[in-house]
Amino acid sequence: MNGLVVGLITFLAGLALSFGLELVSVKVKGPIPTDPFSKVWKKAKAVKVPLAGQTVTKPMEVNLPISEITVKSVNNGKEIAFLLIWEDKTQDRFHLINKFSDAVAVQIPYEPSADVPVTMGAKGKRVLILHWTAFRQENIDNGYSDVAKIHPNYAYDWYPHAKPPYRYPEDWNNQYALAYIGGEKVYRKNTLKTPIREVVAEGYGSSTWKDVQGADGRGVYRNGKWYVVIKRDFVEENTSNPEWGPGRDTFVTFAVWDGSSGNRGARKVLSYQWIKLRIER
Amino acid sequence: MAKAYNWQINREVNYPYEHERPEKQFAVVMDLNKCIACQTCTVACKTTWTPGRGQEYQLWNNVETKPNGFYPLGWDVKLMELLGEDQRWKGDRYEGKTVLDGTDTEPVLGWMPDDLDWTNPNIGEDEVNEPVDIGTVLEKFPHPIWMFYLPRICNHCTYPACVAACPRQAIYKRKEDGIVLIDPERCEGYQECVKACPYKKSMFNYVARISQKCIGCFPRVENGLQPQCVITCIGKIRLMGFLSRPGEEKRDNPIDFLVRIKKVALPLYPQTGLEPNVYYIPPINVPLSFLKQMFGPGAEHAVKTYMAMREGKEPELQALLHLFGSTDRIVHHFSAGTNEVIGYDENMNEIVRVPLYEPFQIRPHKDERLGVVRQDIP
Ligand code: SF4
Ligand code: SF4
Repeated sequence: MNGLVVGLITFLAGLALSFGLELVSVKVKGPIPTDPFSKVWKKAKAVKVPLAGQTVTKPMEVNLPISEITVKSVNNGKEIAFLLIWEDKTQDRFHLINKFSDAVAVQIPYEPSADVPVTMGAKGKRVLILHWTAFRQENIDNGYSDVAKIHPNYAYDWYPHAKPPYRYPEDWNNQYALAYIGGEKVYRKNTLKTPIREVVAEGYGSSTWKDVQGADGRGVYRNGKWYVVIKRDFVEENTSNPEWGPGRDTFVTFAVWDGSSGNRGARKVLSYQWIKLRIER
Repeated sequence: MAKAYNWQINREVNYPYEHERPEKQFAVVMDLNKCIACQTCTVACKTTWTPGRGQEYQLWNNVETKPNGFYPLGWDVKLMELLGEDQRWKGDRYEGKTVLDGTDTEPVLGWMPDDLDWTNPNIGEDEVNEPVDIGTVLEKFPHPIWMFYLPRICNHCTYPACVAACPRQAIYKRKEDGIVLIDPERCEGYQECVKACPYKKSMFNYVARISQKCIGCFPRVENGLQPQCVITCIGKIRLMGFLSRPGEEKRDNPIDFLVRIKKVALPLYPQTGLEPNVYYIPPINVPLSFLKQMFGPGAEHAVKTYMAMREGKEPELQALLHLFGSTDRIVHHFSAGTNEVIGYDENMNEIVRVPLYEPFQIRPHKDERLGVVRQDIP
């Protein structure tokens, strides 16, 4: 069977499975905590979303390491939050050589239309992606995954750009050190204070970090499951935002990465159909 | 999928992008008969580009012993496995699989080295092909017992697998000189290039979380200078320059002369289909079967030409080899006389002039004036 046929079948199966789903973002009062076990989530109704391997573009994920994700949503008029729960027997909290991190993403079209290609948008049909990664969570929870943490017995004599006891990222905030990693932008990505990054995309392979990174959240691994909260203001200052808000419905889809299955980038599982997102006012 | 012509294997390969050859192509020629594995090149590169955090294991330039050395472990054995046993050549045309053929679900045939695979860059150092029997005599070429050193950098391929595999198009090949670079701002560390590159010359920095590779010392090249690994080479085995597009080669361009006209310098594993642009003069002590697998069917001609040069039958080639390691500037043109060889820059300004013979004196064995016999010392 050639790749296209595999792609088409999984794609159609994915379409059929998630057809007609609706997620309601329930109105709540007060600030929304990033704690996935907060009682705020009791109020929201769970929707189970089936996932399928990414088989539209190469490299593909032809297996199905994760087949379903459970989602909930709440909003307080200013912020919207998602709770994402999925089963994953292996907890992958690092992004190293040939080791990849677990992750999850929520995708929202800028224009609230199901005509925007679900495959990360298209030229002129932009999508917002809120991407939680376990390795960023690990950096925040337990300190940056630096050489000394990953290989505690590693022997090295000195680094020309830093003084002992060598701490990343602090030591790297100088012109000399930044040159080794291709500049400021890489440094900024690695020193993000939240485990969620915000990117925009107009088609596969085009995702680009936003200049403003306002999303927040937290992921906790418990009893073989990830519980992840992703939240963002409907409208962030000084940047572009999707057309959404209380009473202004839109669409969402989800993607999950299983690190120990080698998932990263295009190698992922996702829901192939826009799911209606009803946002209570 | 665009079709792209690869002159090294004399056929088209599957390359996912529309492609125009760069105006001129960064290329390095390395004479494997002369490498002594001193690793000066490795250290020059290391101290220049990769002394940073997360780069501890990265050797953009490495030197390994063949047939038993690899960095990373078993890289070319894996490549041979991927391409399978059917690596057919019909004359100068390769008819087997290339890594660019990919699969139904993968853009490129690749494999992923583990972190431990990178941790023994000097494994197999100085090991010969098989145990030496008592009484073995090495008198003729090729030798029954052999090994050689293989210095490697990124090949700045014409059809790079790293470019073909990156789903974010974060890797690009420069039009002006064909140098292949990873854009650190686009890279998200997916390591698809690490998996795809058959030469394993793209490496992941797990602290900065981006892939990194040899940059061809582009800041030097832009200023008319050869890369660090080339100019520091103790054995003077290297020459960096520019290869012309096929059909546009010039006899006085040292790289064109060695690669296209004399065909004495050959690509490493041309079967990959990538058109790698580091060209090796094969070591004459090594059996042809091995050389052909590693450098293609042109190995026989290259070895013959080199042997002829040793007998004084290739004076122009012999003269040109004197330019290796004689200047830090990029030599665009050369001319070989009977006594010296001259290198010129792109505007035909002379940059270096090297005598082919050192001046020498013959002192008679017996000093008649003092009535003594001289010892064989200077
Ligand atoms: S040698 Fe590897 S890293 Fe270098 S250009 Fe070729 S495919 Fe890319
Ligand atoms: S510096 Fe030259 S001779 Fe020494 S190992 Fe490198 S290529 Fe070989």
